[in-house]
Amino acid sequence: MAGYVAIGLPCGLMEQQIGMDALQALMLSFVFYSGAGQFMIPNMMLAGTPLLTIIASVSFVNSRQILYSASLSQFCQGVSKKLTFLFAGGVTDESYGVNVQQFLTGRWNVANALLVNLFSVSSWAFSNAAGVLLGNMISIPVALGSFAMTSIFICLLCTQKLTSTTAVVVIVTMVSVLFFKFVGLSGPAILLGACMGVLAGVLKGKVMKA
Amino acid sequence: MSWSTFLLLMITCAATILLCRVVPIFVLRGKELSKGTQDVLNLIPPAAFAALVANDLLSPTMFDGGLVSGLIPLIAAVVVAAVALKTKNLLACAVVGVAVYALLLFLQQIGCM
Repeated sequence: MAGYVAIGLPCGLMEQQIGMDALQALMLSFVFYSGAGQFMIPNMMLAGTPLLTIIASVSFVNSRQILYSASLSQFCQGVSKKLTFLFAGGVTDESYGVNVQQFLTGRWNVANALLVNLFSVSSWAFSNAAGVLLGNMISIPVALGSFAMTSIFICLLCTQKLTSTTAVVVIVTMVSVLFFKFVGLSGPAILLGACMGVLAGVLKGKVMKA
Repeated sequence: MSWSTFLLLMITCAATILLCRVVPIFVLRGKELSKGTQDVLNLIPPAAFAALVANDLLSPTMFDGGLVSGLIPLIAAVVVAAVALKTKNLLACAVVGVAVYALLLFLQQIGCM
């Protein structure tokens, strides 16, 4: 949970850079609730990107949530629709990582996971608002703020189970992301790169069986 | 930021992410997933996090500002990875990452690198 404060503050600092007030940061964090998305919006706005392009790119990058949602469905069998909806609506990169690890231990349920999500969204929203207020007082370089987010992603990547298949997935994904950026597809690079990685992992599994 | 711009941004972004979060879980729920499907789903987290890390660290223009500027985020990333493997702690990683990155930028600015 404390991780959310560590990235929520810098994210709020960046939102302040594009003229959001604390109330707007609070609302955006509760309703949209996307770390990567909320870092992307100020990044692209500061770069002068048109609003519609920002919305399209953010939505495209966030379509990776489809992958998380599909993966979490296996743990939601027999759970009420209302609870499933509330849980599904609050899944993020970070809480997904935490919850999957817990679900795989077998001693975890959707109500527990929802509680994790609620704590996460609250700490996220209030630290975003605090970041805006802090940004009104002092100025901090943008690159430092977004590196907090990068560090969280590195941690989540390093805590994955390492097998020869995941190694192939990670390497192919990273090379693909760089490739897609190189050919000008920076917006969808995350989604396309991840799909290439999964595809490579599946192919490797097939080759090993054959 | 004006409220009309803000609301447009918030509502459209929130709507698309909500669809992506909620629809698959309901479509796939209650179906017995085959071993093959589960194997594929288990590949998604490493792929997604690798993509996010690569997206932040790698770009075709990363060395345009000189070799040192391009290497700073990579060096900081290696330190974060070491902390991650040792502690598995998100907060420790975020704090160490920002601290090392800030230190390296500072060293570069005063001409030590």
